[in-house]
Amino acid sequence: MQLINSGPDHASRTALKLLMQRLPGISEINTSVEVDSPGTFDQPQLRSAQIVEGSVMRARKVPGVSRDMKSGFGAFLDGAQKVRLIARHEGVPLVLGTTSAVVRVRVNRRLTTWGHQPPKVDFRLYLPLKYLPPLADLPLGETGLMVVDTSKADANGDYPSPHPQVLLDRAIRAIDQQRETLEDQIAEAWCARNEAPLFVDGGINRSAVVASSGCAVGVIKSHRTLYVEDDALKIVLNLGVNERSSVFKVSPRARNSVLSCYLRQRSPEGHDPLWGLVRVEMSECANPSDRADEISRWILAEKNPLALPDGRWDKMSYGVRDCEEFLRAIS
Amino acid sequence: MSEALGRVVATERKPNTPHEFHFWTAIDSPVGIGTIVRVDGAQPVDGHIPHIYGIVVEGFSYTDLQSPMHDVLGHDGSPSAASFAATERAEIRLYTAAVLRQIPEEPLQPVPMGEVFLAEEQDVQVALRMDGYLREGANTGIPVGVYRAGGTDAVIYLDADFLLGPEAAHLNITGMSGLATKTSAVEWLLASMFTHFPYEKGSIAAVAFNVKGPDLCYLDKPGRVEDTDEKLYEKMGVEPKPFSQVQYFAPYTAKGISLNTFRNNEALLDNVKPLTWGLREVLQFAEVLLNKDDIDAKADALIDFIKENVVDREMVPDGVMSKKHRVQSFADLDAWFRDVLQGMEKKDGESWRTHHVATIRKVRNRLSNISTRCAGLVTDTGTVSDLPFGSFADRAVYVVDVANLEEDAQDLIFARIVSKLREHLERRDLGVKHLVVFVDELNKYAPGDGADTYVRKMLLDIAERGRYLGLVLFSAQQFRSQVHRRVVGNSGTALFGRMDADELSTPGYTVLSPATKTKLATLEKGQLMIRHPHFTQPIFVRFPRPAVMQGREGAEKYPQAAEVSLDVAVLRSLRPLDPSITLAWVQEITALYTDDEVIKARNATLIARPENAKAYFASQFKRIVSAQSPVRPMAASIKSAPDDDPYGF
Repeated sequence: MQLINSGPDHASRTALKLLMQRLPGISEINTSVEVDSPGTFDQPQLRSAQIVEGSVMRARKVPGVSRDMKSGFGAFLDGAQKVRLIARHEGVPLVLGTTSAVVRVRVNRRLTTWGHQPPKVDFRLYLPLKYLPPLADLPLGETGLMVVDTSKADANGDYPSPHPQVLLDRAIRAIDQQRETLEDQIAEAWCARNEAPLFVDGGINRSAVVASSGCAVGVIKSHRTLYVEDDALKIVLNLGVNERSSVFKVSPRARNSVLSCYLRQRSPEGHDPLWGLVRVEMSECANPSDRADEISRWILAEKNPLALPDGRWDKMSYGVRDCEEFLRAIS
Repeated sequence: MSEALGRVVATERKPNTPHEFHFWTAIDSPVGIGTIVRVDGAQPVDGHIPHIYGIVVEGFSYTDLQSPMHDVLGHDGSPSAASFAATERAEIRLYTAAVLRQIPEEPLQPVPMGEVFLAEEQDVQVALRMDGYLREGANTGIPVGVYRAGGTDAVIYLDADFLLGPEAAHLNITGMSGLATKTSAVEWLLASMFTHFPYEKGSIAAVAFNVKGPDLCYLDKPGRVEDTDEKLYEKMGVEPKPFSQVQYFAPYTAKGISLNTFRNNEALLDNVKPLTWGLREVLQFAEVLLNKDDIDAKADALIDFIKENVVDREMVPDGVMSKKHRVQSFADLDAWFRDVLQGMEKKDGESWRTHHVATIRKVRNRLSNISTRCAGLVTDTGTVSDLPFGSFADRAVYVVDVANLEEDAQDLIFARIVSKLREHLERRDLGVKHLVVFVDELNKYAPGDGADTYVRKMLLDIAERGRYLGLVLFSAQQFRSQVHRRVVGNSGTALFGRMDADELSTPGYTVLSPATKTKLATLEKGQLMIRHPHFTQPIFVRFPRPAVMQGREGAEKYPQAAEVSLDVAVLRSLRPLDPSITLAWVQEITALYTDDEVIKARNATLIARPENAKAYFASQFKRIVSAQSPVRPMAASIKSAPDDDPYGF
């Protein structure tokens, strides 16, 4: 976890002002600390998956790859979050979370914000209420700033430890979830209109609507969970450029099942084995092989322009970077 | 109200100031260098929403690309592959605008954030402070061109009080040669001034010196006006027609037979008059033709003596002079010099009336030389044909064609005419209240360096003091940087056509942004950049092609007459006075006379412009040929032979 110091922005100042009115004795953190989220708290792991294209996992050359192939994606979806540690009350972290999501539509090769659903931006305070004096009104004041209690008991009835780091982790987890909620809402709105195929940064299996829609494709850049084991793992890690894996089915617990495959966008030579490797999620369909080839071609067609200077440019498409830059500008 | 086309932005690195701001627009917005925009502030100041008017002086475009290398890598080093990319990079159009005006004007603050709009016609008037002189009651606007941007067509007006005085005055125009900008712009502006200059402010006329080519020789002939130009004329309320009152003046050629002008085609001679001066006229401006080496104190004293005591005075024999002299022409002056010098030689005297013989010889040499150097302009006979000083007509143009003359003659003409104009304007008896003098090639006549000539002094004098008299200088040149700073500096209004890059790199243009300089270097025909006292920044406009025949077209349609015989020249000169005159008649009348006598008779007729030209012309010869009846000589008495004469019969 990385802490980034920066001057307090307008949202932080507003939130801090409200808290100071209601929580006498809080200690302001002079330089509002932005917490760089690790993205996930899961440990790296391997999981088996049911192969639906043939009987064994193998590498497949994506057919029809050429310089002038066309991408079928008409839009890109991504979300963003900011975690700001704005104050402490007797050591208890008080966190302001900003989450946002947007769909950027491609018109004449230029990206613009989708007109039917404005970008979503959400500010919330993430407070462990159990460890704070009672607050008079929630949400706070006329601003309507929502408060999320990060000290609720879990499914087993256990409350989190008052350890500041534990409470901060809880806040970050809650902010992650809020961002995913915004992403799902906007993706569902897209799918409801049955628009052109949507390139979703991340998985699509959280929402039943999105997971079953033919117009949303999830592209996952992080590989903390690899859905292959044993020989299949070697095959995926050794995928060459423009090669994809066999299609398999991902059915996580408490989520919706989708079809998936790995795709190598860039040559891994001289890099780590996950270089240029993405996992594609798509809705279940009658002919997964053809669909996987088609979507793979679309993703490969999105390799340019490069998403540099983003450090994840080997896996990131330019449309996703554009969404991130847009959200950075408005949130 | 139109839609916003941009938004003001400011960063710590690129902040807005009271005189400059930045804004971005959509990629396809019609904003460009020279576009006038309006910013509507978001927050009221002192209870008023601020409106800021600015003109775009610089533009930037960039993408989110951090290094050009990233683009190379992204397309595998193949530029053609870039066209296959599914998405174009995010791109920005960022502009810098110079503030033209802020409303309210106080307190003067940095430009606030706000929406940016394309200025409409009304906005342009406010932005350029034209609202002050276009309002009812002032009405001193002179259209100079049309500002165009996006869908806005706005007439740009100059303030007559700042163009023709008394507040400021003078106009200077700079531009590359051969692009039909400088002369065309002046012709157009004269037409606009003659149409829009308020009658209650008095009469106005122009004197134009045609210093090269035939550009100004067809101002009274209609030219080609295209549809686009007609629309501009209509928009600016000027009729697309040639000047209705034009008079041309040109000296004769050295032989004195025909006029030394591009406009000597017989079909155009009706309003061309000869420009000839005699001794008296020239002697007043001897300084123009004599350099400092020529005129030392002694020579100057002798010239003064000649002006005061010789010219037009009765000189009686005094022991040195052998006969009476009345000096009225160069020929008389030379006869007088000869007589004085011969008398001194005979007496072996070294001086005459305190003037040393060497000084007399020197002055004789220099003065006599003038009639040779300025042949065609200066007449030996003293015949004078001049501009109509005292009876200048309102809205008339007087063109003095000096294009084919030697430099000395050009200088003399310029110096004398401007001096006379000045004298008459001082006395308020020129005939008009305001007079525009147009001089091209200012690089030559008022250079920034070089000798301090009489002509340069005169131009400086007009530039610095002319506006109080109503004498306004419209000047033009290719290189403004090489013109005397006080001449261009005193020009309240400056016009710029397409400029040479070398000229633009000189210090005088450092106030212009690189983008404005680039635009200046690539201006099309018919486009100008204007600086005017009311405009805080230069403005780009379009002006219509003047509705007069252009020099090249005129020269083709009315070719210059070839050098002709004296008889034919006389016929051509006199025919506009009486079309019934024929060549045979001229030959019959002039057959017995010398060329000088014929020229003298013709010149006298042209100056007098009598009703009966034939009779007047013929009568000139009667004076030359003595009308005395022959007297029978007295017969000598025959002596009678003596009576004793041995040889007598």
